[in-house]
Amino acid sequence: MLTIDNLHAGYGCVDVLHGISFSVPKASVVCLIGSNGAGKTTTMRAISGMIKPSRGAVLLDGQDITGFDAYRICRRGLAHSPEGRRIFANLSVTDNLLLGAFPRFTGNRSKGDVQGDLEQAMELFPRLRERRQQLAGTLSGGEQQMLAMARALMLNPGMILLDEPSMGLAPILVEEVFRIIADLRQRGVTMLLVEQFAAAALSVSDYGYVLENGRISVHGPAEQLRDDPAVHAAYLGCGH
Amino acid sequence: MDMLLQILFSGIALGMIYAVIAFGYQLTFATSGTLNFGQGEALAIGALIGLSVVDRIGNYWLTIPVVLLAGAIYGIGVERLGVRPALKAKSEGWIMATIALGIIMKNIAENIWGRDDLKFPSPVSEAPLHLFGASVLPMEIIVIVGALALMLAVELFNRKSIYGKAIAATAADREAAGLMGINTGQVITFSYALSCAAAAFAGILIAPLTLTGASMGAALGLKAFAVAIIGGLTSGLGVIIGGLILGLAETFTGFYLSTGYKDVPGLVLLLLVLAFKPAGLFGKTAIKKV
Amino acid sequence: MKITRLVFSGLLLLGLALFPLLLPNPYYIHLLVVIGIYAILLFGLDIVVGYTGEISLGHAGLFGIGAYTAGIVFTTVGAPFWLALPAAIAVTAAFGAVLAMPALRVTGPYLAMVTLAFGTIVQILINEMDFLTRGPQGLQVLKPMLLEHRMTVVDFYYFTLASVLLALLVVHHTLKSYIGRSFEALRGSPVACDCMGVSVYRSKVLAFVMSAGFAGLAGGLYAFSEEYIAPSSFNFELAILFLLAVTLGGRKTRSGSVLGAAIVVLLPNLLSDIDLFRQLTVLIACLVAIGAGYAVLRTRTTLRQLTVPLVALAVFVIFAFTLEDIAEHRLSIFGLLILGVVYYLPDGIVGYLRALVKRFRPQWVPAHETIAEHGDAANVWSAPSCGAGGEPLLEASGIVMQFGGLKALNEVDLQVAAGRIHGLIGPNGSGKSTMMNVLTGIYTPTQGDISFAGQSIGGCTSSHIALRGVARTFQNVQLFGEMTAIENVMVGLTHTYELTLIDVVLRTGRYRRQEHEARVSAANLLDFVGLGDMHNEEARHLPYGKQRLLEIARALALSPSLLLLDEPAAGIPPADLPELTAMIRKIREHGIAVVLIEHHMDLVMGVCDRISVLDFGQKIAEGAAGEIQSDPRVIAAYLGGEATAQPA
Repeated sequence: MLTIDNLHAGYGCVDVLHGISFSVPKASVVCLIGSNGAGKTTTMRAISGMIKPSRGAVLLDGQDITGFDAYRICRRGLAHSPEGRRIFANLSVTDNLLLGAFPRFTGNRSKGDVQGDLEQAMELFPRLRERRQQLAGTLSGGEQQMLAMARALMLNPGMILLDEPSMGLAPILVEEVFRIIADLRQRGVTMLLVEQFAAAALSVSDYGYVLENGRISVHGPAEQLRDDPAVHAAYLGCGH
Repeated sequence: MDMLLQILFSGIALGMIYAVIAFGYQLTFATSGTLNFGQGEALAIGALIGLSVVDRIGNYWLTIPVVLLAGAIYGIGVERLGVRPALKAKSEGWIMATIALGIIMKNIAENIWGRDDLKFPSPVSEAPLHLFGASVLPMEIIVIVGALALMLAVELFNRKSIYGKAIAATAADREAAGLMGINTGQVITFSYALSCAAAAFAGILIAPLTLTGASMGAALGLKAFAVAIIGGLTSGLGVIIGGLILGLAETFTGFYLSTGYKDVPGLVLLLLVLAFKPAGLFGKTAIKKV
Repeated sequence: MKITRLVFSGLLLLGLALFPLLLPNPYYIHLLVVIGIYAILLFGLDIVVGYTGEISLGHAGLFGIGAYTAGIVFTTVGAPFWLALPAAIAVTAAFGAVLAMPALRVTGPYLAMVTLAFGTIVQILINEMDFLTRGPQGLQVLKPMLLEHRMTVVDFYYFTLASVLLALLVVHHTLKSYIGRSFEALRGSPVACDCMGVSVYRSKVLAFVMSAGFAGLAGGLYAFSEEYIAPSSFNFELAILFLLAVTLGGRKTRSGSVLGAAIVVLLPNLLSDIDLFRQLTVLIACLVAIGAGYAVLRTRTTLRQLTVPLVALAVFVIFAFTLEDIAEHRLSIFGLLILGVVYYLPDGIVGYLRALVKRFRPQWVPAHETIAEHGDAANVWSAPSCGAGGEPLLEASGIVMQFGGLKALNEVDLQVAAGRIHGLIGPNGSGKSTMMNVLTGIYTPTQGDISFAGQSIGGCTSSHIALRGVARTFQNVQLFGEMTAIENVMVGLTHTYELTLIDVVLRTGRYRRQEHEARVSAANLLDFVGLGDMHNEEARHLPYGKQRLLEIARALALSPSLLLLDEPAAGIPPADLPELTAMIRKIREHGIAVVLIEHHMDLVMGVCDRISVLDFGQKIAEGAAGEIQSDPRVIAAYLGGEATAQPA
């Protein structure tokens, strides 16, 4: 589905990523874990076109999308639920969801049944149905996260990037978010997940990559990584 | 008392003109964080083109679409030539660039229509109506209704259509809007087209009440900025209240003090609001991030 | 280079001094006078535009205030000439202070509009207050008497020349001193300015007042030179003309101001002769074409990138040859000139020439004054060591920081002991950087109190807290990008100067001694952080990791007793981490307490005496490294999932 080859990217003239390669097969969940500043979010941003890679290639469904503007990548069916959620705070919940389906209104993606999908999204996230007329900014942190995820689903995407869905949430909501991710995985949604909570992220993934200083240090099937002492070391600095 | 009502009406009409121009500032500021320093010229162009078309076809109402189109084209030109390159370079060059484009436009207008002020024929009777004992020009009522109708139409478009929502999304968070598949560059161009069309429309609204000329816009544009600031650059309908405050302050100053001073209250208000409450009377203060 | 410059300036001055004798044509002499007057104004405008980075459309208004003050004081009041000019300067400077008030609250386009409104108000007032200004009919001002005879154009020429030289001296010496550095720092990062103890408030007011003072002097001279002033002379177009001049000549250079003044004064004359205009257009087009051709040949740029400017240029040449009456298109040409400058000559002619010469002879063009003082890390500590430490230095208690509905910090207590390293860790968004901002006065906490060295600093301004001895670095580097490394550090040393404006302008012995001391301390500090060989590099051109080190040096320049480091290791190659660790230890050895926010756990666990862990805005653990590493709640906060992550 998605193939990343020798990706270099960063901000200004300073690269944060120094050559990352991995791929996400169709209908699987891959997670990127690593400490803060390792380059997880930068990887996501470079894939979805929020920043331009300085070197390397990004392939979506075998087609080169390296350096495309974000809106063009989205129109090809890659949804990105960004770090910090980035919902539109002064628009209603419904409007946020409809905007998630924007390319379907403009004919850049097949329209299908937008209203039906809206209903389905609200079924998946019942809290959103209760609050569909409210301004998104008045939602609690957990509800905002669900909105961000639902908004990404509204594209009818081929693949979703989920960046730190648990950030800033109370632990009980973190669990809820991971339950939803597991649910989406059951439905066969292709996902690339970035998380600080390594253990939880690995429990809902098929495969994991550990980023350290802009490079992949360890990778392997998710169950295997969970018990890897090197993963613990990367987080807490013990074990050296 | 009658005099007072009459001044009130003129003040409201003038205030609505300011509100429409200020509304245009808000549109572009929301989507791109920039605004057109040559907005007054868009207004003058609207009035002058309107004048020529009215002369040709003799119908005021039919000129409105032509004027809106002309304004939109001017807006697209300003965005492409003055704003987009600066946004790409993340510089504040757009301030000087939009000023320069305004100067050029004014010069071209002077060469086409001359430097003298021209009389714009009023589409309705110039005999005052008697409302509540005050004499009110019918054109003043048209100005008020027209201005409100335009703002209402744009607001409705923004709220009801998916494209309007795309504008709101771009305004709220340009990067996130891009992730929704919205071509934010196009949205910014569109907001400039809309903004200048609004100013051009304000031009033909006010033209029958004043004189028309290439330099009619400069002071209006500046005072409309004051209105946008008073109302808050981010607050939707604050501009109507801001426009009313300024329109009334100005007509009263003109009547009781001297018409020479009529521009002063608006500008002083601008200085005061920016010195003490920069987010405007109705805007929210942003948290600064470090 | 210095000698060439001196010889060149000497020759120019000699030429100007002899000019009236060689070419005794009053018209040309008058043109030179106007150029001089504009140059004085542009020196001032450049302080605002070039150094503090704001756009002012109000300088035509200030110029008018100067002109009218001088005119009224001299003509209506009847005061002597030598009183009229200082009065013009003083009154205009006072208006500059008025203009600085909104400038403190807003920047960028807002300030541009404010200054535009200011200029418009001034013009209206001059027009309307006819009891004072005679309104639209204008004011007649005769040239002053000089030793029993009225000054001639030539006399006035020499007087203006002297004024320009005096203004040049004042402005040059001020801008090259710590005052100029603080103006420039304002442009780079106002927040960092405050955190270096350089009050943004004072610097901005000073910049505007100085700038207005020069505008006042220029205005006063203008009144006497023209002998007639009217409100319409000080309009919007003039304000734009000044801005064009300062950008076209080149920001932050005095030669740019003079050049810009010359161009805009000569421009109308140029535009009045269509043949001359056409010849010049062709000349410029040829120069650009040659430059473009060269650039393409050397593959510095591709032909495609050059399409737009080249087509625009071709259109302009065609325009120049088709138009018949140039006067009609004067404003359009003026507008096109502005557009061209904004997009293709943002650094002005002087900036462009410098870049050009630099490409071939880099050693000829130091963009900044080269500061050659050598540093030695051994002498880095100017203040004596603060002792062994251990006693409480900073105490924050019950800090609550609320943004709207979000509590970024919830009842956090933090005690930092003198001379100890205190780590502050936690996942993203846990409130660490917010805590930094609260401690340095950038945010005022919703609740709670902070005391430093026994005194409360809650509610103090950032610059005040900085001067008390709390220095910091920033998570997103906040350097003064256009300034060199050593200049950045010297901004931090601003507090060491004890001088008056007179010392600065006259460069007295006191000034030179203190400047030298500051340079040596700055060099020492740079040597300490390992940037000893990069004194004169512009900060924005340093690699990211070095920028972080430079921030540490700049913070140490405050001689702090507490240093807050926000992610110092970000961007530093892993191989250099031990050096950073050693540096932080050395800072502690000198008795400076450190608060360290960092994600590199090796570093945190290695150097910190004590560590506090934040999660969801609350402190969930505190203790020594070992305790923290084995604390189940900390493990849960970082790894998540396994342990119950319920914060206490």
